[in-house]
Amino acid sequence: MARTLRRLTPAQGALPIIVLWALPLAASVLMLLPAIAEPDAWRQLQSHPQLWSALVLSLATGGGASVLALLMSVLVLAGLDRSRALPQLQALAAAGLALPHLAFAIGFGFLIMPTGLIARLIEGGTTPPPWVTVQDPWGLSLMLALALKELPFLLIAALAALARGDGTGRLTQERRVAASLGHGAGSVWLRVVLPQLLPSLRWPLVIVFVYGATVVDMALVLGPTQPPTLAVVIWHALNHADATVNGMGLAMTLVLTSVLAALVATTLLLLQVTLPRLRHWLCAGPSLLAAPRGMAVVTGTIAGLLMLAAILLLALLSVTPRWPYPALMPPAVTFAAWTTLGSSAAPLWLSLLLAAMTALVALGLALLWFETQPEGRDRWLIGLALATLALPQLAVAGGQYRLFLGLGLTGTLPGLFLAHLTPVAAYVLIILQGPYRAFDSRYMMAARSLSVPASTAWLQVKLSLLRAPVLTAAAIGFAVSMAQFVPAQLIAAGRYSTLPMEAVTLSAGGNRPLTAAFALCLAAPPLAAFLAASLLGRPRWR
Amino acid sequence: MALSLEEVSIRLDGHTLIKPFTMRLEKGVIVTLMGPSGSGKSTLLSFIAGDLTAPFNATGAVTLDGRNLDGLPPEKRRIGRLFQDDLLFPHMSVAENLLFGMPRGQQQARHAAMTAALAEAGLAGFAERPPHTLSGGQRARVALLRSLLASPGAMLLDEPFNKLDADLRAGLRDFVFRHIAARDIPCLMVTHDRADVPPGGRLLLLGRGEVRDA
Repeated sequence: MARTLRRLTPAQGALPIIVLWALPLAASVLMLLPAIAEPDAWRQLQSHPQLWSALVLSLATGGGASVLALLMSVLVLAGLDRSRALPQLQALAAAGLALPHLAFAIGFGFLIMPTGLIARLIEGGTTPPPWVTVQDPWGLSLMLALALKELPFLLIAALAALARGDGTGRLTQERRVAASLGHGAGSVWLRVVLPQLLPSLRWPLVIVFVYGATVVDMALVLGPTQPPTLAVVIWHALNHADATVNGMGLAMTLVLTSVLAALVATTLLLLQVTLPRLRHWLCAGPSLLAAPRGMAVVTGTIAGLLMLAAILLLALLSVTPRWPYPALMPPAVTFAAWTTLGSSAAPLWLSLLLAAMTALVALGLALLWFETQPEGRDRWLIGLALATLALPQLAVAGGQYRLFLGLGLTGTLPGLFLAHLTPVAAYVLIILQGPYRAFDSRYMMAARSLSVPASTAWLQVKLSLLRAPVLTAAAIGFAVSMAQFVPAQLIAAGRYSTLPMEAVTLSAGGNRPLTAAFALCLAAPPLAAFLAASLLGRPRWR
Repeated sequence: MALSLEEVSIRLDGHTLIKPFTMRLEKGVIVTLMGPSGSGKSTLLSFIAGDLTAPFNATGAVTLDGRNLDGLPPEKRRIGRLFQDDLLFPHMSVAENLLFGMPRGQQQARHAAMTAALAEAGLAGFAERPPHTLSGGQRARVALLRSLLASPGAMLLDEPFNKLDADLRAGLRDFVFRHIAARDIPCLMVTHDRADVPPGGRLLLLGRGEVRDA
């Protein structure tokens, strides 16, 4: 492979990723622009009775979830800083990251609903308590589920940034100095670690906020209905049979995207103005503030237990046809739902096939790019990848739908493949870029100086040393593909069905065992991929 | 003020790195400890400072000015440290670095002390600069000032001149020794460069697990 790579010109190395990923992506976003010039769509939008209340709900759930997730991650990191539990925390967070949002939302819903396990545990009685939890009108259950699900993402991003900052043990040494100057562990974390960490959390936070404010699948399961969040209003409009309603959906997507962009820009600007005013607090003098270890352990444990309980409950429900209210354990177990699932497993196979293919192709495209392009050109590609994640999925997928409709790609497998590749390649590029470019090329020179052929050196030295990030990128790509709902539903155009589509449809119906079985099928493969990646990627010398 | 070590010994995974020894460091005196790498010099400093981590462990008592430091976390020991790297916090200006460890109190007084320290060190006008814009020698001097402005009861120097160019070392040694002497506190320095030993200073050698006078 290395010899083939070396024979490729930079143009040949760049072409595949540009043709398969970058161009369709850019064209999709551009396809949104014609929606600006559709007066009918804007007239419908203005007279839509739920527009403003839905927009406020979207911003509140997305914003609230981001703030909550940030607070929880800061608390956990500050409390467990330099503790021996950090590797375990990292492994748990990776598992939480792999868990698809939708599967967690379904399990979480079963957990908190008035007839759910939590009500049975703390309320009991003969009838379910009058709780308003799932689909509550304020979007609180959606917000809480989002915050819990984004906690692992922020933890992973923060731990990666801290490991980068501590590459040579620098941050550890800085902590020592700060302690010798009279600062307690909590003060050291707030004054020395956090200020150096926050800049690298900027993009992850933007991604978390935009995702939360525009998520469709989770909002369909847990979010309010009268009015729903704006993403759900848009979703129904995009799936409407009437083309002018579709146009209104795209116009609403533009509104939502612009409002989010303005909000992010304003927040960043406000922080730029206010943060310098807090500087005097950095050097106000030594403080013996201790690390919030107890609170960190409690927060982490509750978050972890809720995620674990959601998954275990899915497993239990999938084999429980009837489970009358106050009983803590199901009266009988049958595998009827799994039999049903087995006889209609096409969505499962399609999802697995798409996930495996997009992960492998994205990995190949990324390696091809990194091997043939100078590092300076990464900026454009990484910028595009970040934009993919920071843009509402509705915007990218909505534009992609219009583009693919014109190209005759809707309702086709190639169309579905390209639609899944868009977010997968973005994640793979972002994860691989840092480790791949940080690779010390002198290892390759050393190998070549020992008369080892280029291909052997590439496989046995470079790829071997980069095994962990390469496998992680593939596993995340796989998980991201498995979880795609919006682009899958739009591009499939009713001709194909994937797991998330089945799970969303089922969750609106009353068949709990089958819903739980499909949600579990959605959760298991990404978790298995992560487990495999972390086992295979373990360095040999540890 | 004096720093006392009594029957201090250090072990690594069960085998003895430094055999029990006792010594007393008087105020205003710099004691130098030399030994090959891996002999446990820096580990001893970590033990005195209170941040020894596994797989190392240590026994023995450390007292500073009669106060037993056993079990106290590093931030409560009032022991300043200098490392090979200056370790100035990159997100703070020179002034903020200096104020970081200075005891709390009236803001004007703290600023005046900081400005005076910079001026005395020939660094007037550098207060608002980010650390990375200073030369290596300047950063090393700021790092020492930062430690001393925290009013430590003792100083530990861990090969502080190791990473500096040879032509800067002599000047910085003189600067460091002068400032520590002026504070009148005990100081323990580890190094593997005999030229680092202050003129007329006490020199200890660490070899085969034993600490003895040179």
